[in-house]
Formats: sequence, structure tokens, C-alpha cells
Amino acid sequence: MDRGRKPDKGEVEDLTKEFIAESHEGLERMDLCLTELEKRPDDGELVREIFRTVHTIKGTTGFLGFRRLEKLAHAGEGLLGALRDGKLAVTTELINGLLQLMDGLRTILQRIESAGTEGKLLAEDDGELIAHLEELKAGAFPASGDTASQNRDVGHPNPSSEQVVKQTDCETVDSKALTSSSARDKTLRIDVEVLNRMMNQVGELVLTRNQILLCRPGEDSFPELARRLDSVTSELRESVMRARMQPVGHIFSKFPRMVRDLAVTCGRRVRIEFEGEETGLDKSLLEAVRDPLTHAVRNAIDHGIESPAERVKQGKPAVGVVRLRAFHQSGSVVIEVIDDGAGISTACVLAKAIERGLLTTEQAAAMSEREALQMVFVAGFSTAKQLTRISGRGIGMDVVRTNVEKVGGSVELISHLGIGTTIRMRVPLTLAIIPALVVQSGGQSFALPQKSLVELVYMPRHEMAQTVERIGTTELYRLREGLLPLVWLDRLLGLAENEDPVRADFYIAVVESEARRFGLVVDDLKAPQEIVVKPLSAELREIGVFSGATVLGNGTLALILDVAATGARAGVRQATDAIALVSAAQAQAESTHVEIESLMVIYESGKRGIAEGANQEQMAMPLSSVERIESIPLRQIEYAGGRAVLQYRGELIPLEDEDEVLREKSADASANVLICLRAEGHGTRRVGMVVRRVLDVSAGRLLAPDAASCGQQLAMVNERVKTVHPVVLPHENSAQQLALVGVA
Amino acid sequence: MTLAAEMAADIGDTVSICSLRVGTGLYGIATSQIREVLGTTVPQSVPLAPEYIAGVVPYRGKVLTAVSLRALLRLERKSGSNCILVFDGELIDEHFGLIVDGVNGVIALHKDTLRANPSGLDARSMEMFDGAYQLPSGLMVQLDPRKLRPSRLAESGLFARLKQERQGEAR
Repeated sequence: MDRGRKPDKGEVEDLTKEFIAESHEGLERMDLCLTELEKRPDDGELVREIFRTVHTIKGTTGFLGFRRLEKLAHAGEGLLGALRDGKLAVTTELINGLLQLMDGLRTILQRIESAGTEGKLLAEDDGELIAHLEELKAGAFPASGDTASQNRDVGHPNPSSEQVVKQTDCETVDSKALTSSSARDKTLRIDVEVLNRMMNQVGELVLTRNQILLCRPGEDSFPELARRLDSVTSELRESVMRARMQPVGHIFSKFPRMVRDLAVTCGRRVRIEFEGEETGLDKSLLEAVRDPLTHAVRNAIDHGIESPAERVKQGKPAVGVVRLRAFHQSGSVVIEVIDDGAGISTACVLAKAIERGLLTTEQAAAMSEREALQMVFVAGFSTAKQLTRISGRGIGMDVVRTNVEKVGGSVELISHLGIGTTIRMRVPLTLAIIPALVVQSGGQSFALPQKSLVELVYMPRHEMAQTVERIGTTELYRLREGLLPLVWLDRLLGLAENEDPVRADFYIAVVESEARRFGLVVDDLKAPQEIVVKPLSAELREIGVFSGATVLGNGTLALILDVAATGARAGVRQATDAIALVSAAQAQAESTHVEIESLMVIYESGKRGIAEGANQEQMAMPLSSVERIESIPLRQIEYAGGRAVLQYRGELIPLEDEDEVLREKSADASANVLICLRAEGHGTRRVGMVVRRVLDVSAGRLLAPDAASCGQQLAMVNERVKTVHPVVLPHENSAQQLALVGVA
Repeated sequence: MTLAAEMAADIGDTVSICSLRVGTGLYGIATSQIREVLGTTVPQSVPLAPEYIAGVVPYRGKVLTAVSLRALLRLERKSGSNCILVFDGELIDEHFGLIVDGVNGVIALHKDTLRANPSGLDARSMEMFDGAYQLPSGLMVQLDPRKLRPSRLAESGLFARLKQERQGEAR
């Protein structure tokens, strides 16, 4: 052989990494196929798929020189070959054997990944497993073999509890490997098409840069170039984000196996169903929800689904159903774990909470059913009657909530006694870029994530004495009905010169996170921005108050505040009144159960003929249906057949000008256009709405149509009624929204 | 293997050293360990951080933690120009910057002129310094970036109480 072509060390390492990533993927597929095979034993395609996986591993491993892996894969291949050729029937024993084979392969792969070698320690185990596989191949276990003899014959009985423990151990190893960025984490499969699109956009970016470099200061084309740069950048950002998106199905894939094993241990009969596996989610977030989701599924089987006998007694089918459902909703991804089990008894929850000293009897009596359910998220709460191996491992629902909230998400629990429980996790699409408000305190800039920002209060200096009150050392602000603890950011961070500096006017940012609600006092507010989150080094993360840093428009850095940690540091308690706050918000949501809280764009409408100022109607449009708000020079608007049209990003979109704003304006003015997405037939198309003035974007609720609304869709925004533009809100859409609220 | 031995193995008898100024002292770091020297960037200070961390600076799309050599040497904070040395994460496990008053230039030194830390040195200096070169003009203290990593400084605990001590002194 030509010596020059022999792969060097680095090349082998690369090959190994690739091999491990591919094999993990293969094994995941095999996992799915095996559970499927159990349901449909006659499906030849499934057997062939599994065979291919094992065959590929065997082939590659021989080349890379992992003998132990090769030997095991070879034994498996032999067995699968016999199965493929129809020499064997699919039995539970066989499936168990194959699952063991899969675990064996996975263990060796993990060892190779962490240590670089396949290790010799477990060689004897392999021998046993290989012998077992050989026996299976030889047909030592007829389909109706009696269990006792099997247990005696080989060291591998059916998945007994002992073995499940082993598997769960294996899972913990798995999750550890995941956190320490295993090969699976480092590689990502991207459609070449997506990559090409990204390359095109980068090309565009380079061209724009070249033009900007050539541009002399003060040149007319500069604003145009800046705008182009802006749009190219945002498009590129979107492509990259999309490339990072992974179907949620990736983390669903391990559940069939887990459910199968858990069901056996707990003596349940459970079927798992998936919905919306193709829903995309950023890779890092996908990893972040993996553990909470696993925990939720475990809970559903261990505590949710009843034993078959119990189920039959209740008139339910013996086989319980756990359903994983994922879908996009207004810029976030919702993942639900739905079981049709016993549901959660609020009486039990409350009794437990009182027993644990989390609530007083009076508090408990005053709680609504919904509030009571949220108690399971409070730290130190577990309703399990007995600690089982599966769920009662000291990880409660509070950890699920903390983990999901850590990535900016939220968790909700809905349960109906006797009917079932739903755990709903809501996570943002991406972590890398978040909307934030930049604030100034003690001469430094800090970014405050919009996610936890509730409202802002301006506080002129002369009013401070009246509005800020003290109880002991705690300063409080009377916000409407409630008292809000105040946290002075500069004092907390040690930036204040002395304890009580003479202050100019300041702002209170009312923030809420992890059930802590407080007023953060800052000196000044800067613009809200979409910030790019950069991680901090470990020593700075340890301070706990900052979750990252970001580069601002002027090139300086701003630290991103972790609101929950800031509150905790300042000693704001996560007390039961926080629950009361949550429940107040929920009560409000419940009392107006057909309303939905959403962001609305408020704009001015009405024809100019009507007395100015007196009758200017304010219209609202849900922000979700507005794609962009553009200021378009009238020169760019063209007319075709008497209708105004606009060339917008290579697309011709019709403009709607109900208030005849265009007619009033002079030729060199520009008009505000809301670029909207309108559902039409099966797809959506863009429409431009010309409006006189965009006033605000704020949260509002759609009101249920009634007699007073005169057939118009009304919305309540900032306690004032606005008319919702009817055209952009297609009926099926609003019906859907209402339906969703109904479910909640 | 010590740093000096490593370099001797690499470049024969001479080593290439980047010479730095902090206060009145002269310090040296092997150029092979420095990735880049940034000019006058003012780090964004991080409240509540240990005092030896001067702040963070944006560096090639990342946020770099900058260690202040002045603070480590217990010198007064200095405003005005400074330089930041960036260390390569691949060579010394951690990506960080070191803030010094100024960089004099690169000199080639014979490895025989390196002397080990004297035995009478205090614990903190023992922790930071890696011997000294005897130059005709005086001593140049060699620093090992690996010893100045923020994580190591945090672990050693020798530098953690700097702030309180200083506050005590001020009073």
C-alpha cells in the first residue's frame, strides 16, 4: 500500500468523531425502529433498517480498529441477519436482546468518546451478551419459552427492575456526556440548500460593505446603503437561526424506549404518541428542554397513568396514552406532555403543602383550583406517596420549572381529576438574540431582558418622598393596589458613591421572574434593542447577577442582568404573595376567559375631513400579523390599474389605503406602511396597509364580540377600547385563538 | 515540564520575551504564549467581580475577561492608556486578557539568565511569578499566563480578599 495515503493521527481522530456522531444517530433510529418493531413484528423494512445500522457500525469500526465494538456488532449483525431472512420470529425476548445489544454498542461508543479507547473492563459483559445473542440466533428461545428457565440459563433476564436501574444509570451518563459537549452536540446536519442561501446572503453582505467603504461621508446614497445593510443582516441572521433549528423529534426519539422500560417497571401499560415532531427549535434550547421533558414524561407514567386494573375499573382503556405535542405559537415553541391518567387532586396538593409548611390552612382554603395546582412548582414539594426509583429522586417539578425558566421559558400545569394532566412548556425560538431594554445605573449600561420586564414607572425627584415608603429597611413603592419592594441597582452592585446619594429623576422598572416581583430602580432608560447574548467566563458567571454580556451599538459592552438572581441577591422573597400575584393575573385571565392577551400595534386612523383631534380614532392590529413597519417614500409607491402597489424585497405587494392618506401627502413625503401577513386560501401573502401614524405597541386583549361591539372586533388596550382592523384578522385565525383560550 | 524548559526545547538557547511595564517594574511573558496585543481598549468594569478582574472587553465576537496586573501587584488603579494582552485558549486552556501599563517590545534572552523565584518571596508573588531574568539594567520578572488565569486566581484564594483589605487600608 502507498505509505503516503495512510491516514495520519489527526485524520483518524476526525474520522472517529464523525463515526461516533453517525453511530449515535443510527442507534437513535434503531431505538425507534425497535419499539416500532414490537408493535408491528411483520414489518420487514424495520428489520432491514436496524440491520443497516448495525452493519454500518461493524464496517466502520473494523476500519478504525475498535475490535471490541466490531465483535459485538458482528454478533448483532448475525442475529439480525437471521431475523431478516425470516429464520426467527419477533418475540419479546428477541427485542430485549436487541435492546441490550443497542445499550452495549452505546456504552462502548460513549467510552470511545470520553476516553478515546473502547476499554477492556467490560469485556466479560460483552462475552455474556454476545453469547446471549448467539443463543437467540440459534433459536434457543421459542416464542413461548418459560421465563424461569431463561433466567437460569443466562445472566440477562427480561428487563427486570434491576436492569432498568442500569439503563437509567446509563441515561445519567448520557446526560452528563451531553453537558460536556459530546460529539453529538458538536455536529449538526444542515441542508445544502440552506447553506447556499446563507452563502448568497454573505455575498450580499460583502457587496454592501464594499459599497459602504467606497461611500464618501455625506453622500446621498448612504441612508439607502445603511438600510440595505440592515435588511441583509436580518435576513442572514434569520437563515443562520433557521440552520440552527432542529426538529423537536430529535429529542422525542428516545422516549418510546424510555416509556417502554418505565411502563414495565411501574406495571403500567402505556402508549406514547407524538405530534408536531417537525417543529423546529434552536439546538441549544433543544438540549435545555431535554431533561425537563424527560422528567415530565417520567412523572406522567409514574404518577399519572394508573395501573391497567385501575383504569379498567374507571372505564378507561387499559392502555394509557402519553402524548408529546409540539407547535409554534407567537414566536415561541410550546411543548406539551399530555397524559390521560388520574390527574392531580388539588385536595392532596393542598394537604401536602400544609404538611410541608408551605401554606397555612387559611391560605389553602382561599386558593382556587388553579392556584393550588401551581403549588407543585414550589421548591420542596413532591406529591409522590412513596419515593419511587423513577420519580422521587429529589428532583421535583420546581427543577423542571427552574430549568425551563433558565432559558427564558415558562411551565404551566393543567390537570383534571380522573381525566389527565398536561404540562405545557413554552420556550423561546432562540437564545442567541433577545429583545432587551438598555438601562443606565451608576454610570454603567445594563441590559434588562424584555421577557421579565412588566412595566416602567417614571419617578420625578420631587415625588420620591411621597411615593417611596419604608417598612423597616425595605423601601416600597405603592403601585396601584399593591406594594412593590424596591431594589436600587447601583446600591446593590456597589456602584453608588454613598448610601443615599442625591438623586435626579429616576425610573422604576417593574420586573418579575421566578415568582419574584420587584421594582428595579435605575437612573435612566435607553433604547430597547435586540441584543446578541455573549457568555461570560466562569468567574464572572459565579457572581450570579449577570447572565451574559452584549456589545451595544456604540461598541461598548453592557452586562445583561439576570433578573431572578438580582431579586434573590437583594433579598426579594419568592413568597406566597408572589403566588397570589400569579393567581391574580390568572384570575383576571379566567374571568375574561374569551380574551387573549397579545401585543397590538396602535395607530391613528380616520379621514382628515373629520374635525382634527376630536375624532381621531385609534385602531389596533395584533402585532403577530404585522411583519414590519416601514416608512416608504411616496416616490417608491407605484400605481397599477388605479391601485397602489409597492415593490418590497423583490415582491410586488398591494397597498391598502382606507383612510386615503396617500392622497393627502405631497410627493416628496413618505408614508407609514404596515407590512402585514394575510391568510389567503391555504397560504399567506403580504399586504401593505397605509396608516397615518403609528402610535404605540402595547399589550391588549381581544374582546369577545357582543351587542355593544356592533359587529366590530374590539380590543382593550391600556384600559381603552380600540377597534381591531378587520381585514387582517381572518376569521379562522380569531376562531383558533379563541379555541386556544378555551383549552387553557 | 516548566515553561522555561519547554521554550528551551523549542528555540535552542534563546527565548523570545515580550517585555511589559507595570508601575515601575519590568515583566516578561514568552511571545509564543501571546496571541495578540490590543492597544488602548478600556474594559467595561463588572460590578461585584473580584478586584483583580478589571472588566470585560469585546474581542473577535467574544467577551474576554481581563485580569489587571496592577491589581494583582496591589498597585493603585491607574487611569489612562494601557495595553491588553490576549492569551490563546488553545495553549493555556482559558481565553483571557491581561491589562498592563505598556508593552516595551520583544527581546531575545538567553535561557541561562533565568533564575528561579527566591525563597523569601511572599505567597502571592510565589503564586504569580515564574523566576526572573537578569538583564544588564536590572531584573525582569517572568510571568506565566497559566498562573494568571482567572479561574486559577479564584481557586488559590490568595487574591480574593484584596478588595476588603484595600477598603480597610483606606479607612
